Amino acid sequence: MLLQAIINGLFFGAIYATMGIGFSLVWGVMKIVNVAHGSFIMIGAYLAYELFRLYNIDPFLSIPFTMLALFILGYLIQRYLLNRIVRGSIFITLTFTFGLQILLANVCLLIWKADFRSIRVSYAGSSLALGGLVIPVVRLGIFLTALVLTGLFYLFMRKTKVGIAINATSFNFEGAKTVGIDVMNIYAITYGVGAALAGAAGSLIVPIMSINPFTGGQLVGRVFIVAILGGLGSTMGALVGGLLLGLVETIATVFIPSSYQELVGFAVFIIILVFRPQGLLGKRFY
Amino acid sequence: MIKKIIVLAILLLALIMAPLLVGGFWIRILTHTLMFCVLASALNIISGFTGYAPFGNMAFFGTGAYTVAVLMNHASMPFLPALLLAGIISMLLSLVFGALFLRLRGQYFALATTGAAEAIRHIVTNMRITGGGQGLTLPQLKGTPVFVNTYFYYFMLLLLIVITVFVWNLSKNRLGYAFKAIRADEDAANVMGINTTKYKIISWGFSALFTGVTGGIYAYWFTYIDPPTVFDIMWTVKMFVILLIGGAGTVFGPILGAFIIETLSELIWARFLYIHMGVLGTIIIIVVMFMPKGIISLVTENKSLFKFLQNKLKKKE
Repeated sequence: MLLQAIINGLFFGAIYATMGIGFSLVWGVMKIVNVAHGSFIMIGAYLAYELFRLYNIDPFLSIPFTMLALFILGYLIQRYLLNRIVRGSIFITLTFTFGLQILLANVCLLIWKADFRSIRVSYAGSSLALGGLVIPVVRLGIFLTALVLTGLFYLFMRKTKVGIAINATSFNFEGAKTVGIDVMNIYAITYGVGAALAGAAGSLIVPIMSINPFTGGQLVGRVFIVAILGGLGSTMGALVGGLLLGLVETIATVFIPSSYQELVGFAVFIIILVFRPQGLLGKRFY
Repeated sequence: MIKKIIVLAILLLALIMAPLLVGGFWIRILTHTLMFCVLASALNIISGFTGYAPFGNMAFFGTGAYTVAVLMNHASMPFLPALLLAGIISMLLSLVFGALFLRLRGQYFALATTGAAEAIRHIVTNMRITGGGQGLTLPQLKGTPVFVNTYFYYFMLLLLIVITVFVWNLSKNRLGYAFKAIRADEDAANVMGINTTKYKIISWGFSALFTGVTGGIYAYWFTYIDPPTVFDIMWTVKMFVILLIGGAGTVFGPILGAFIIETLSELIWARFLYIHMGVLGTIIIIVVMFMPKGIISLVTENKSLFKFLQNKLKKKE
């Protein structure tokens, strides 16, 4: 029972990690608390849903499409809107992303109505039996995909020129400008990458979760917790934060009523903020 | 100065006379507007003056509302003492939160308060005494609809006058100077001998007190509350938008902002039910985007939209 809970927790935690990494990147690099991140995940999920419904594209295979679409959306938002206010006070950026979240939720409400949507892939029922444990194939696939995405993101930040430029801009804005980095373009790419990861997370949740236009607002609470738990400025932090949140939530439901599940997450969040505000693995930059 | 006082006196007189001049529908809308004036003024104390952004301020609104609802329902307490307790309990809650979170700065503080507010909402949803997710129905105020409308209108107006006098004093007295010093540079204020932790907690305490009392009045006015409504983060978002439009750190900015936003709400949002949230989002984005300098200066340089427009008009002359 407990072992099964741990496995379920890890599987769900991997999705939390994918959700959290993009958010943590945007916050770490630009000091923007992106409340609209939940909406990006939801839009990714709706895109995956439509791709499956209209063209029968498997949600796992839809990831490149949702990532590309969300990258473009994020890039444009940062380039033409957020870049004008990114150096302002936190009141401004936080209020802006709230406005964006409300707007995007309303757009989704107009397009997809308030109904819950979900998709059922042909292999949804199949699972592997390992000893006494049941491992659903879909969740295993999501877990592995999330790990691969995290690994790719890690390499992107360390090995590519763009990733290094993002690090440089995060570390020293003026310095990066001096050495010829187009910082505003880098900001736009950063926000785009954050949104793309949210899009991937959207593709991953749609086979196992029902979504509606208000899902985005609910998910962003979890994303906050993951980012704070792991600490800003590290890929590993977001991964650890996501896995831990998944574990804590599922293990807690073994011992206490499931209506308290969300409360447990927020309790962990508050404890971490009070005792270790930099998070478990937080550092200055990626 | 005398001109200012005359203008204020006329506006106040107009607000006092309003129930005699307009019907019940408009009185309810005015009461709603006054409620947001109070909420934004309460946020102004911690955000405008002290420079902290508690995005979880709706925790106090909900706590106040639930205190009144539970006391009136289960203890058969009259409204006024219940309301007093609502204010006190909200304030005590802010002391606990303040001790925990006011060491955090910037976005960390904003997020911590949001998390705490969510936690409170989940606790209230899981408690039996609060009726859980089903919410609570309060006893109704006895009397004709006209009497009920006027009662809550004057109650809210009285609260607005109290908080405005309080904030006006704050802009002149030592306490207010301490708050402003923290906003300007917390470390410097500390070095100058201001006990910043103490003043931050006091500042948030008063903010919570007024927010909690407003929540209590809201509960008795609407006679039904449930956790998703009173702990909705939209309360805080609206307070921030009002504060940004009107001018943070000023006495009358939040009042001006509330009237602008609520008038817009009546004119536009109410007519387009399906997109009213989208319109709100767009207004937020436009306000923040296209007056970036204006808005930032509202927060940091203590200017208001009113002055901004006044200056623009003067230049034209």
